[in-house]
Formats: sequence, C-alpha cells, structure tokens
Amino acid sequence: MTASLGLAAGASTTALLNRPKYHVTRKQPRSRVAILRAESYSHNLEGILHSGLELFHLDLRGKTVLLKPNLVDYIPGNHINTHPLLVAAAAECFRRLGAKNVLVGEGPGHQRDTELVLLESGFSDELHQLKVPFVDLNRDELVAMPLLATYTGMDRLWLPRSVLDADFVVSMPKVKTHHWSGVTLSLKNMFGVVPGAKYGWPKNILHWKGIQESILDVCATVPVHFVIADAIVAMEGNGPLNGHPRPLHRIVLADDPVAADATCARLMGLDPTRITHIRIGAQFLGNVSFDRIDQIAEAVCAPAKPFEVVPEFEHLHVTSHAQAGFLI
Amino acid sequence: MAISCLMTNLLDRSFPHLSGDLTIWWFSPRTQRVRDTQQLNHACVQELIHRQLPEGGWPFTTDTTQSAVEPTALALLALPPSSVRERDAAIRFLLRTQNANGSWPAFSGDDARGSGLTGLALYALNRCRAQGIVGHKAVDWLLRTKGWESHWLWKWKFRTSDRHVRFDPDKSGWPWVTETASWVVPTAYSLLALKHARGISHQDLVQLRIRRGVEMLYDRICPEGGWNAGNGVVYGLPLAPHADATALALLSLSSEPPNNFISASLDWLGRRAETCFAPWSLAWTVLALDAFGHPTPLLTDRLSSIVDPAEANDCATLAVVSLALRLPAGENAFRVAHEA
Repeated sequence: MTASLGLAAGASTTALLNRPKYHVTRKQPRSRVAILRAESYSHNLEGILHSGLELFHLDLRGKTVLLKPNLVDYIPGNHINTHPLLVAAAAECFRRLGAKNVLVGEGPGHQRDTELVLLESGFSDELHQLKVPFVDLNRDELVAMPLLATYTGMDRLWLPRSVLDADFVVSMPKVKTHHWSGVTLSLKNMFGVVPGAKYGWPKNILHWKGIQESILDVCATVPVHFVIADAIVAMEGNGPLNGHPRPLHRIVLADDPVAADATCARLMGLDPTRITHIRIGAQFLGNVSFDRIDQIAEAVCAPAKPFEVVPEFEHLHVTSHAQAGFLI
Repeated sequence: MAISCLMTNLLDRSFPHLSGDLTIWWFSPRTQRVRDTQQLNHACVQELIHRQLPEGGWPFTTDTTQSAVEPTALALLALPPSSVRERDAAIRFLLRTQNANGSWPAFSGDDARGSGLTGLALYALNRCRAQGIVGHKAVDWLLRTKGWESHWLWKWKFRTSDRHVRFDPDKSGWPWVTETASWVVPTAYSLLALKHARGISHQDLVQLRIRRGVEMLYDRICPEGGWNAGNGVVYGLPLAPHADATALALLSLSSEPPNNFISASLDWLGRRAETCFAPWSLAWTVLALDAFGHPTPLLTDRLSSIVDPAEANDCATLAVVSLALRLPAGENAFRVAHEA
C-alpha cells in the first residue's frame, strides 16, 4: 500500500513493541518451508505447486479454503500483484487436495474499483475459467472481532465474514520490498483483509497505529494457515508499486507465515531478525530461526546481490557478520 | 455495428493478445449489443428495489443483509421520484442511522464516531429535500472534522522528518475514519454536501471549510492530472490516478472556476475512459465528464453494453450505473454543485 500519510505516526517505540502484547500463541515447535523452482509464469505452475503441496500432507477434505493474493492495483508492466496464473494454479491444487470450497478474497488498499483491477490484471479471466468465486473483502459483510494482540492499542477490528468463516487461510504474497515496512510478504499481505468499507482507502488507521504493530495485531487475530509466496518475479527498490522487477524464479510454500517471511527475506538478502514484525512475530506467530525450520525442498541461498531497498531500510541488508551465522 | 467496431478497436489497444475477440467472459454475452439506456436503467432500478432490505437500506453485495451507507445513499439518488415507498424507506433508514454527533456510520452496527461517508449521506438527503435539523447536525460535524495531518504536532512532523509523501498539511480535507489523515473520496463527498447544503446559518465557516477542502484536492493531485486515494507523489515518484477518485473529485469541483488542475484532470479522465471497461469506474467517469459538458454518448453506450443488472453483485455499482444511464434524459444527480 503506498498511500501512507501518517505512516510513521505509530506512537509505539521499539521498546514498547518488544513488550509481549499477545493473547494467543500460534507458534509451532517446528515449521516446514519448501522453496520450489519455477522459471516463469506458465500453465505448468499447477504441476510444480501440486508436487510442493504434497510435501506438506495437508488434510483439506471438506474445508473451505480462502486464497488471499496481494492485489494492489494494475500498472502495465509492473510486477506488483501476485500473478493470476499462480493463484489459479493454487485454486486447482487445493481442489485436487479435497477442499470443499476454494475462493479468492482480497481488499485492495489503494484502488477502490476492485473489479477494474481484476479485469485489467487478468484475474477475472483466470478465475472465471476455473469458476473460482472472488470476494471483495472491502465490501464483504463485517463482524467485530476482539484483537488477539494489542500492539496498536486498538481492542477490536471489523473483519470480513468470508475470512472469519474460512477453515484454511492461505496468504499468497508477491515478494516485494516496501518503502514503509521494509518488506511486504505473507504477514503484511494480511492488511488486505481489513475492510475498506469501514477503514477507507487506504486503510489509514493501520498506518497511524503503526504498520509493524498493525501487522502483528491483524495476524494474531486472523490465523494464516499456509503461505504460497510468489517470488518467480519479485520486486526490489521502491515497492510496493514503483520498484523494479527482480526475477528469483522461486515459489515459497510454508505452514508458518513467520517462517515463510524469514525464508523470503533471506532469499532477498535481508536479515529477517531486523524486520520488526518478523522479529516480534517470532515470539508468538511462528519461527524465524533456522534450527526450527525444516527446509523440505531447495535450500535457502542468499542472492549474490541483495535486494535494493529505500535508504530507511538499508540496515536490513545482511552484514558479513550475520551472514557467517546465516541469520539465525 | 459502429459500437462493435469501437469495442474491437479498444480491445485491440487494451488487450492486444485478444485480437478483438469479444467472447471473453466479462463481455459475453453482455457486449452482444448495446441496449436501450432507458430500458436498462429501468432494469437497474428494478434490481435495486428488489435488493432493498426491509430496514430500508442496501448492502454492498447480495451475499449479505448488512446495510451500508454508501450503497444506500447512492441507491436513494438513483431511485426515480415514482419509487415513493422505496425512497421513503431509504430516507427513514438514513435518518435513523445518523449518529448522535451528526455523522453517519459506514454500515449498520458500526461505531458512532462517524465515517467519511457522512458527506454522501447528507448529499443524498439534501437531493431528496429531506435534511432539516438532521442536515444542520451533519454540517456541524463536517465543519468540526478534518484530517489529522492538520494537527500542529503532525504538521511539524510532516514538515521536518516525514517528508516522503508530497503534500501540504495545512490543506486538509476529510478522513475516512476520524483521527486519521484526509483522503480524496471522503473530501469529495463532503464538498458536495457542503456546497449543496441549504439554510445553514454559519455560511462563513462553511465557505472557509469548502476552501480548505478544495485546496486539499488541488494539493493532492497527481502530476499528470487526476487523483488516486490521495497521494500524488511518494518517494519522489508520481503515482497513477484512478478513474473513480478523479471523477468524484471533479464532480465536487464542478462549481469551481476553470483552472489547470481541472482541465488536466478532465483530459486524463477522457483518455482513461477509452480503455475502461469496469462499470463502477466507467459510470463515475461518465457522470463527471457530463458535469463538465463533455459529450458522453459513446461511453454511455459502452456502459450499457457491459452491465447486466441481474449479474451485477454490487449494489453501489448498480446505483452509480443507474445514475449514469439517466444522463441521456438530461439528469445528472451530481451536477448540482453549480446551484450552490
């Protein structure tokens, strides 16, 4: 989300952030991550994805699966959204795995006309062909939910019924750098479930309350059960809209959003423990350290050249000292 | 036939890989012919009436029974005077849901602090001559409410350390949610309401607030003209405008003297319209271009060809489409700012 007046207006200091303010623990003893190789966006993504998903032995029979891609806006030539072919492949895979319902839901934070973004980005075509329903989370029925973490100081959020009713929420971020939050990965992607009909375009309250804090509160309250991150062509520099495409030729799957984001950060040449919401999230949302993450496909390897970030986030780059311990 | 050629040409430009194939799902079978706008508008109105909830409001989508203020206010504007019972029910719903502080919530059950849709609700009631004391309270709320960037502490911060978003915090409009910054759409709705408010005693304050809101819109304009949510430049790079936000901003500025901001934005909107096939954005575009006297028959024809009222799941979109389809009859529900 680019529209961020008041982005740094979150009142919390780092010290305040570090004080535990969560009322739920989603962290598992161990997490599994699979890095899959995918050269391009093509129709064989389904095969690649299906073989990767089989590694996780997911039991989705009879469940409603909500795929939450990152769908921001449509700018021709810019790789800003999760690719529609990957989302379509995921929908097919989850159906093959026995899901009762698979739907795609997103609430773009900047562009109010969700249908326009769907049409112009190619999502409509892909979803229609597969007869996968799409829910505009900005305009869904809303339910007041008490927050299960209180880093923002808010006590509740209105959230879309479709998200709360889903049995299995899959965060499908586009791997990107972000000029306000450092990175936008599976945790930040969940901003899209916060409804514009209540909080506006952009969802400015999340910026005033602090982006890092808001990510933690939202992800504590809406569990992310699985991650499929689109790093086939990622984005570096002035993301999430105006960065440059950076091909990584990878898809990252994980049963833990913190482990997924930590792995993506490492693939970007960034130190996940220096990204506030990942570091704090590791206390209760998932695992960040290598010794708690089982890499069940390709190994993590840092890029020869780390992702470019805006100057405020230069400190996220891996230093040689940290690299020696490979960012544990 | 002419429209078919136009569509094919536009598709060739927008989606070269489609080669003019009109069978892609979102046009088919809706693009098979351009329907009579009056008949189509009648179908839109009937569909809106069918979807009105017993409490008088409308939900955003047909999947829910939770009334929301934006689709309700837009539907109220779209209903013809002959729909007396439905209009009365909608007016009663809006009057009933007004918060004690004069604002409107975003939807049924929302908290009572007020939303950025207050301007739209007030505008819709004003158009139906149903304001009275309700309107005074709402105007008072609009006069009291402004984006938090205008607070001295944040002004100082935005002028000193937080300078990546280009804007002037002295020029504040209205926020979506209280205690946040001002944004284009709630500011446009609020300006429409204030410019159309009748019988308000403190006109000097109203005029001052209108000026600040207009200045805010000009301040947040995108470099190429037009508006998005409200950030024209971030980190030194221009951001793209959006058709719906641009159209709404223009509608709220239609009584302002001609200037470069408006003409650049009209030019941008006209160009964007050439490749816009989404009903919500296209309908707002048609309303805005018409308000400035630009011809819109071709765009209205395209709108007619891409909308099927029974399939349109979103009630707010259906209402705006209906408003746009009334233009051939000479009615523009947002052309009123000239009267103020």
